[in-house]
Amino acid sequence: MRFSVNRDVFSDAVSFTVKLLPQRTTLPILSGVLLSTTESGLKLSSFDYEVSAQTEIDADVEEQGTVLVSGRLLAEIANRLPNAPVQFSTDDNKISVSCGPASFTLLSMPVEEYPTVPHVDGESGLVKAEDFSTAVSQVAVAASKDDVTPVITGVQLEVADNTLSLVATDRYRVAVRDIEWDNGAGSGEPISALIPARTIQEVGKTFGHSSTISVAFTNSDDRELIAFSADRKTVTSLLIKGTFPPVRRLFPSDVSNYAVMNTADVIDSVRRVSLVLEREAALRFSFTIDGLTMDAAGSENAQASETVDALLTGNDIVLSLKPQFLIDALNAVRSEFVRFSFTTSENSNKPGPVLITSQSSKDQPGADSFKYLLQPNLLLR
Amino acid sequence: MDNGRVSHQDGRSRQVSDAGVDDPGAHILHVDMDAFYVNVELLDRPELRGRPVIIGHDTGRSVVSSASYEARRFGVSSAMPVARALSLCPSAVVIPPRHERYAEESARVMRVFGQFTPLVEPLSIDEAFLDVAGARRLWGTPGTIARRVKTAVESETGLPCSVGAAGTKFVAKLASGLAKPSGVLLVPVDETLALLRPLPIRRLWGVGQRTAEQLESRAIRTVGDVAAAPVEVLSRIVGPAAAQKLSELARGIDPRPIQLSREEKSIGHETTFASDVADPAVVRRTVLGLADRVAARLRSAGLSAGGVAVKLRYGDFRTVSRSRVLVEPSDVAQRIADVARGLVDECWDSSQPVRLLGVRAERLDGAGSTMQLWNPDESWRDTESTMDELRSRFGASAISRASLLRPRSAE
Repeated sequence: MRFSVNRDVFSDAVSFTVKLLPQRTTLPILSGVLLSTTESGLKLSSFDYEVSAQTEIDADVEEQGTVLVSGRLLAEIANRLPNAPVQFSTDDNKISVSCGPASFTLLSMPVEEYPTVPHVDGESGLVKAEDFSTAVSQVAVAASKDDVTPVITGVQLEVADNTLSLVATDRYRVAVRDIEWDNGAGSGEPISALIPARTIQEVGKTFGHSSTISVAFTNSDDRELIAFSADRKTVTSLLIKGTFPPVRRLFPSDVSNYAVMNTADVIDSVRRVSLVLEREAALRFSFTIDGLTMDAAGSENAQASETVDALLTGNDIVLSLKPQFLIDALNAVRSEFVRFSFTTSENSNKPGPVLITSQSSKDQPGADSFKYLLQPNLLLR
Repeated sequence: MDNGRVSHQDGRSRQVSDAGVDDPGAHILHVDMDAFYVNVELLDRPELRGRPVIIGHDTGRSVVSSASYEARRFGVSSAMPVARALSLCPSAVVIPPRHERYAEESARVMRVFGQFTPLVEPLSIDEAFLDVAGARRLWGTPGTIARRVKTAVESETGLPCSVGAAGTKFVAKLASGLAKPSGVLLVPVDETLALLRPLPIRRLWGVGQRTAEQLESRAIRTVGDVAAAPVEVLSRIVGPAAAQKLSELARGIDPRPIQLSREEKSIGHETTFASDVADPAVVRRTVLGLADRVAARLRSAGLSAGGVAVKLRYGDFRTVSRSRVLVEPSDVAQRIADVARGLVDECWDSSQPVRLLGVRAERLDGAGSTMQLWNPDESWRDTESTMDELRSRFGASAISRASLLRPRSAE
C-alpha cells in the first residue's frame, strides 16, 4: 500500500473517524482506524459495534491496500504534521508515515480480525444541517446520563409528514424541538428511532457546517441502524432498543399564567445567586408584578438574592428549581427573551411543571418550536 | 428502655436523691420512661394495672419488648423469649406491640421536654437527654427541674418516668437507670467518681460481653479499676482508641454535647419465624411484608431510601447481611422488596433454613430532593399510599397484599 495525501484533508479525516471511538475499549482492535485505498482515493473507517464513522478523501494512490492502525495515535500525529504532503507506505506489518522532514513508523494491527463496518444504502429523508445541529444541541442536554435506564439516555427522533421531532428526557425535564424534514428519496413512512445522546451530539457538531444531512434507517439482521451522511462523511449508530416514555402528554395545551424575562439577565442572575448554594440545592423563584426575585438560602453561612425585570401575566407564583436545569433551558431557547408558563397540578404534593419557551420580544412568542418542561421541587419554606 | 445492663430489672437496687440534693453543674438530664410500652398499654387498659404484663407476640420464639415491674419480679426481662417469660410467670398477660400507639405517646412526652429546654436530644422512642444549663433563671436548679420534668410528664401523659441528672451524658443515663422505677437521682459533680467506682465495668458505654471478659481476665472488674489502670495497660487490652474513651468515661469525663435533631439513619423491620424456613416462596413473601412496613414508615416520615439492606439469620444464629444503593431513592415497598429479594438471593445459602429476616432502608433522604415529572414507581406508590390511608382509618389489618394472605392457622 502506498499513497500520498493533502495534510489538512488527511488530518481532518482522521480526527473525524477517531472522534466517536470510545475512550476505553475492552477490545484493543476496536481502537484502530481502518485505512483502505479506493479507485480514486482513500477510505477511513472506525467501528466499535455500536457506532461507525466512515469518510472518503482524495489521494494519489500508487499501490492498493488496507491497514489498521491505532486511531488515537494516528490522529495525534496527523494533527501535528508539518505543512507538507503526507506520504503513506507499508512494508509487511510496518507502516511508515512521512511528511516533510518528519517520519514515523507505526505497527499495523491485524486487519483480518477487524469487524465489518456497516454499510447503509438508500435514504429515508433529508434535514437542513444547521437546523438539525441546533435542535440536537437544544434537546440532547435533557437526556439522562444514567445508564441504568437505557431508553432515556437517548434522543428520540420521530418523523411524521414533513416534520422531524427530537425529544429527550431524564424524568426531571423534557426537551422537544421540531424541524423540517424532506422525504427526499425516502418513502415518507413515519419513523421513530432512539439514538444514544452522545452519538447524536457528535453528529450535530460534525455536520453543523454542511448544508444538508441525509438520514437513512435500516433494519438488517435484526439490527436497527441509523446513518447520517454529508460531505462524503457517514456516521452510523445502533438504535437503543425499548419504548421511549410517552412524554409529550406531559406538556400542557394552553397556559394563561406566564412571565417573560430577558434571557441573558436571568442566566447571569441565576449563576450569581447560585454561588452560595450547596450542590444539588434548588433556588427559589418568586414571580410578582415587581419582577422575578431569586433567593438562595442554601447554607447557614451565606445567602443571596437578586431581582430581574419580569412581565407577569396572571397570578404571582413561587417555585423551587434546580439552577443547572434552568440554565440548560435558558441556553437552549436561543432567543433574547424567554417565557416561563406555569401549569397547575392536581396533586398537592407535587407542583405543576414549568414550560419554558422562546420569545422573540417582550410580547412576541418565538418562531421556533422548542419546548422545555421542567418539574419544580417542593417548596421547603 | 432498660436493656438488660442492670442485673435487676425490677427496681430492687433503686437509688434516689433526697429533695435537698442539688448541683448547678449537674445540668444534663436523662429522662427514661419506665416500662414504656407496658405503661402506654395500661393507659388504654387500666384494668390490667397491678398485674404482670408482657409486650410481645405470643408465638413462642418472639421476644419480650417490655415487661411490667410486676412481671419483672418473676425474673422476666426484656429481650427474653416470650415462651421463657411465660414459664417464669404463667399469669402474665401478653399484649402484642402497637408501635404506632407508642410513637404517638412518645411525641407527647417529647413535647413536654420541649417546654423546659429547646436542647432535647431524643435517644430512642422512650428516652432523651435534656441540657438545662440555660433554663436556670426560668425553672431553677437542675434538681428542681428534674423533679418538675418528672411531674409534668406524669401529669400530662399519665406515664411514669425516671430522671437522672449529672454533669455528663454517661453519668446522667446511669443515674436514671439507678433511679428506676419512677425516681429522680441527681449525681453532684464531685460525687460522680464515688458513684462510678464500685460499678461493674459492663455499665460503661462501649463495654460488651467480649470487652468485659478481656478486662475481667486481667482483674479489671469495676469502673474504679478502669479509672485506676494506666491507659497503656487498657490500650493493650482493647486498643488505643477504646482505651482512651473507657478511661475517660471511668473518670467521669464525657465531653459529648447534646445533639439536636438526630437524623434517623435507617428504618428497618425484622421478623423471627415461628420455625426456621427453607421455602424460598415464604422468604420472598416475608421480604415483601417487611418492605411494606418499612416503606409505610418512610412515607409517613416523608423520607426516601437511598439504599436497601437485608439481614438473614440461620438456625445456628450465623447472620449475613447485604446492602445496595438504589439508583433513585424510593419510598415504595414494591421497589424496596425487589432490591431486597435480589440481595437475599445473593447471600442466602438456600440449603440452610432461615430463622430471622430483616429489611432495612438506609441513606435516608428527606423530601425536597429533586422531583421528577413522572416516576416509574408512581402507580405502585399511589396504590401503597391508598393502603396507608385505609390502614390509618380502619387499622393495620384493613388491607393487605393478596400475596401476603395466608390461612389463619399458619401463624
